[in-house]
Amino acid sequence: MSRPEEIYVVGCGMHPFGRDESVSGMDMAERAIREALADAGVAWADIGYAAGGSDVSGKPDTLVGRLGLTGVPFVNVQNGCATGASTVLAVANALRAGEASLGLAVGFDKHERGAFHVSAARYGLGDWYAETGMMLTTQFFALKTQRYLHEYAIGERALAMVAARAFRNGSRHPLAWRRKELTEEEILGSAEVSPPLTQYMFCSPGQGAAALVLARGDRAFDLCERPVKLASLAFRTRRFGSFEVFAPWLPPGPHRSPSVDAAEAVFRGAGLRPSDVQVAQLQDTDSGSELIHLAETGLCGHGEQPDLLASGATDPTGRIPVNTDGGCLAGGEPVGASGLRQFHEVVRQLQGRAPGEQVPGGPRVGFTHVYGAPGISACAVLTV
Amino acid sequence: MTTRLIDESLFDGADPPRLVGARCTGCRTVVFPRQDSCPRCSDGAMTAHVLPDSGEIWSWTVQSFRPKEPYRPPAVGHQPYALGYVDLGEILVEARLDIPRRLIRIGLPVRLTTVEAYRDEDGTRILTFAFGSAAEDER
Ligand SMILES: [Zn+2]
Repeated sequence: MSRPEEIYVVGCGMHPFGRDESVSGMDMAERAIREALADAGVAWADIGYAAGGSDVSGKPDTLVGRLGLTGVPFVNVQNGCATGASTVLAVANALRAGEASLGLAVGFDKHERGAFHVSAARYGLGDWYAETGMMLTTQFFALKTQRYLHEYAIGERALAMVAARAFRNGSRHPLAWRRKELTEEEILGSAEVSPPLTQYMFCSPGQGAAALVLARGDRAFDLCERPVKLASLAFRTRRFGSFEVFAPWLPPGPHRSPSVDAAEAVFRGAGLRPSDVQVAQLQDTDSGSELIHLAETGLCGHGEQPDLLASGATDPTGRIPVNTDGGCLAGGEPVGASGLRQFHEVVRQLQGRAPGEQVPGGPRVGFTHVYGAPGISACAVLTV
Repeated sequence: MTTRLIDESLFDGADPPRLVGARCTGCRTVVFPRQDSCPRCSDGAMTAHVLPDSGEIWSWTVQSFRPKEPYRPPAVGHQPYALGYVDLGEILVEARLDIPRRLIRIGLPVRLTTVEAYRDEDGTRILTFAFGSAAEDER
């Protein structure tokens, strides 16, 4: 049976991703939280510790004005793509330390349309870098993918296979944004953004919210029929030699990503191997990112991706289903909510309650991975 | 017509200009642009270091859509432009590529040059660094 200091997910909730002008970021967060509380069968007053994250849509702790002024400690997090994982980490550590037995993590965002707007000064760079047209995240993903395809002799069709699977999974998922299947030809033939990446190989900034209720092991099984154990969670920043966005220079290789460090640490913490994973979420800001992350997290070897994708192994019915909800490509990327969307999908898959296509055979080991600027990655292993 | 380099601190002041980074006296790491502390070790002091002016393309792409401000398009308006990382041996530098797209490939030998980034309000041509093909007959 469970030990008290083990941490479980006992409830989740999510506001559909996409575009809905009628709701604010806070509205979506409130809905996701109420859904997560109801899923766990607890009240807001039962929550003893909370953490929330949003990149652009307000201070999460002000949500107490809507949920109830219970005096609960509520930590605000702003950690880019790792925001969701940071909220889970904060809550899990508080529960482990005995601060509370029930906690809540929430993430939400509502972004403007179009590419993320960035300032050179905010990243410690001179004005010249942005003025000469080099300060675009899309360029970074293209440059990293271009080099990767070259090093491992991978063709551009693999990028289309990643996106086609994402939109196929999204088309069957009620919470996804992009719900239309696209063929590999349509993806390869869509407008060029930065070669080798085309328009349909990129996700778009969007909106959404997701929330989790976490419990200590001594409460989890009373509250939830099928609690999902947070077996391990690891968060890493970059080390010298990583290849990151907005880099006017790089040291000579090899370039080691923080994704490699976070994945190694999380599997070590869980006492499991990448080959044990039965349902996975990988950061897919673009097709190239997912392709690279498959190998950086250890789910396959470098260069094995084309065969893996072509064989259907990453489909919901395959050996290692990836982004069963369509990931960022089909869901869009509300930065603060994206990481918790991953938890939501993996938890539901492990509970056998997937809103979209359920992975058959009762998967018992799930994995989540996020990666983002300025060189951060977080991974989790979830088990039942 | 008068010309000006986009940011003097990136260059050595010679004609033609060379790129200047910094090198750590401790671990020999080379960075660009220059900075006062080493990103790798905490021991070394950083001294100005002129970068090699030739290398080869390490990765490349094209910027197809017009970037948002503060990007400043050239006088003729935005045209898709190529950029990439150039392997200079001791460092890889991100730069515009002044090479026809059909000729761009990983491993192509390239040499430092300058291209017009934009024109200032008074008509001054603002130049930034770029790499062009090292084989003149390919241009
Ligand atoms: Zn050093």
